[in-house]
Amino acid sequence: MKVIAAYSIKGGVGKTTAAANLAAVAAERGYRVLLWDLDPQGGATYLFRVRPKVKGGGRALVSQRRQLVDAVKASDFDNLDLLPSDFSYRHLDLVLDGQKRPTRRIGQLLDGLRSDYDVVVLDCAPSVSLVSENVVRAADLLLVPMLPAPLSVRTLDQLETFVADAKGRSPAVLAFFSMVDRRRGLHRQLVEELPGERPELARAVIPVASAVEQMSVRRAPLVTWSPSSPASQAYRDLWQEVVRRW
Amino acid sequence: MLREYVVEGDEDALPIEAMCDALSARAEPRRTERRSWIDTFDWRLYNAGLVLEHQRRGGESALVLSDRDGQRVARVPVGDRAEAAVDELPEGPIRDQISTLAGPRALFARVTVDGPVTLLSALDGEEKTVARVAVEGPLTVEGGDALPPRVRVETLRGYPKEARTAAKRLAGLRGLATADDSLFEAACAVSGLRPGVYRSKPDVDIDPTLPANEAFAILLGELLDIARVNVDGTLRQLDTEFLHDLRVAVRRGRAALKMAKGVFDEPARSRHAAELKWIGDITTPSRDLDVYLLGFDEMVERALDPDAVRPFHTLLVRKCRKAHTALNRALRSQRFGRLLEDWPGDLAAADQLGPEADRPIADVATDRLRRAWRRVHKRGSAITDASPAESLHDLRKRCKELRYLLELFAGLYTKSAHKEVVGELKQLQDNLGAFQDAEAQRFLILEYAEELAEAGVPAATLIAMGRLDEHFERRQSAARAEFAERWSRFDRRHNERVFTRMLGAR
Repeated sequence: MKVIAAYSIKGGVGKTTAAANLAAVAAERGYRVLLWDLDPQGGATYLFRVRPKVKGGGRALVSQRRQLVDAVKASDFDNLDLLPSDFSYRHLDLVLDGQKRPTRRIGQLLDGLRSDYDVVVLDCAPSVSLVSENVVRAADLLLVPMLPAPLSVRTLDQLETFVADAKGRSPAVLAFFSMVDRRRGLHRQLVEELPGERPELARAVIPVASAVEQMSVRRAPLVTWSPSSPASQAYRDLWQEVVRRW
Repeated sequence: MLREYVVEGDEDALPIEAMCDALSARAEPRRTERRSWIDTFDWRLYNAGLVLEHQRRGGESALVLSDRDGQRVARVPVGDRAEAAVDELPEGPIRDQISTLAGPRALFARVTVDGPVTLLSALDGEEKTVARVAVEGPLTVEGGDALPPRVRVETLRGYPKEARTAAKRLAGLRGLATADDSLFEAACAVSGLRPGVYRSKPDVDIDPTLPANEAFAILLGELLDIARVNVDGTLRQLDTEFLHDLRVAVRRGRAALKMAKGVFDEPARSRHAAELKWIGDITTPSRDLDVYLLGFDEMVERALDPDAVRPFHTLLVRKCRKAHTALNRALRSQRFGRLLEDWPGDLAAADQLGPEADRPIADVATDRLRRAWRRVHKRGSAITDASPAESLHDLRKRCKELRYLLELFAGLYTKSAHKEVVGELKQLQDNLGAFQDAEAQRFLILEYAEELAEAGVPAATLIAMGRLDEHFERRQSAARAEFAERWSRFDRRHNERVFTRMLGAR
């Protein structure tokens, strides 16, 4: 089982759309996929039309009063299940803090799913917190969306320092440009030049597209209802790079 | 829990609209569907609680793995050929699990069903699918049999209550009756298949008072059936186990015929015994080469240089192909065809029978088992450190005879003592098997090394084969060194007492 975490310190960078589409691409390829929406805002849960509710909330899952697998909901797509968000996840830091080995708890919980899934995708809330520390320790690969702006490079550096400082095994980092508008000079320049300088940057680039925005209206991953759109192709290319690096 | 319904009455009037209304469901357009259920010949997946299906629906082709209650484990898009589909599974636990379960056995389509399908999605207030319903049929099973349309509720993970509700609503519709079995089981039934049922040895309870000629005829008939069902797979070389099971059935038959001396008309009995020996002989080269090739990868690891042993592998593959061609010729011959006819029944019903034909089978079996035991004891006790390999081989054959008899007549004796005797015998057989297998491997290595040397293969190949020979020599020596201890364990008073108790307690 491979654990991929879509993670960014900054919000609104296309993290949830990437998590949802990559999970759908993996499921299409025949992997048994679980998408865990760890963000209390529940964006991924909304995209899959699932009720954002976990019986007993995050506390029940973390304390194992409720098994992770019992909270899982099938999505409308083959091989793709969802562990929904719950508003109580906003207190997940506190709940984790009360546990033994608080930075390893999420990884331990995921260990119980090894026979059920081939791939777990974590959609994390944008923050630097105990939850993010857990995610870094549990993940085999951190998938980091970046807006094509100079400031994003600084954010990536911060994130890499955070990963390096975390205890235990470090996950691989795969950053990618998201919401790229090729009509804009700065976007073109960064997308063309930066991957040569930063090997952790993916070649695949997710374009800014109205189809991506339409996802929240259609409430389904783009790759499932517009499979041949450029953005869908970009997610497929990104998936190839994920598989090469995990 | 399986939730399937059979549509009764007019097949053209499937109540799709009524179902959509009852379930608040959305229907997809009707498509044609072809479902092939894949398993090994001996149902290894089914017996492990799994059902693997190759599903072709419209232009889509997928492999679907479910548990026996229909709960889906995974669905993987694959190519159009069922037999090749398993190889297209992505690497991961499912592929590993299926490959491990199948072992050396081939996975192939056991039964196929064609017909139209309409999929319904029961939706909740968010328009999320909370249960799936497949309306299939009318259906045609490959071979021509027809099955009535069916309605199947699929439970989605996390939505068991919704599936129960959907099932309840469907059960309330007129024209739908709860099915007793799944479509897979129904298709198997009309094709004469029984999922999960495979026997490699007779499975009959013999009445101890039955006259020996009738009892032997029943057992031989059962063995003949087992041989028969394995002929097609052997001819098509679906996997190596068809030939193995065919040979074991024949060997058991030979052991039974040997012990039936005095039961049947002697000339007829020995004629059939000779024919069974002929099958044993014609199948041996193919089986030996199959075994060699099955274990080749493990052997290569020992040879240290995979490139060097490649010419040896090529030679083995060529020999194996040739051996199977010759075998197939023999299996298609009239002589073999006659052997598949009901000769055990003819033997038992012949005018001329042996003097022991009317004796109760239990008495004859006890008598023969006692004799077989004595033979093993005599051969084994005569073996010393100086005995040639042939003596051990001969003892191995006697042990096999005893084992086959014990298995054929198991139902006549008390289970616990029988189990203990077989367990003890098996330990001795394992040792003799290890010794003889190594002997056979070494013989083949030498034979083929000479052939390859004449063909001018690189010296590295011959050196690698020399290493293999050394490996088998070590294995053989180890087995030989262990023999004395294994024999004395088997030949102890305790085992003899258990054996006597087993025979006497009947």
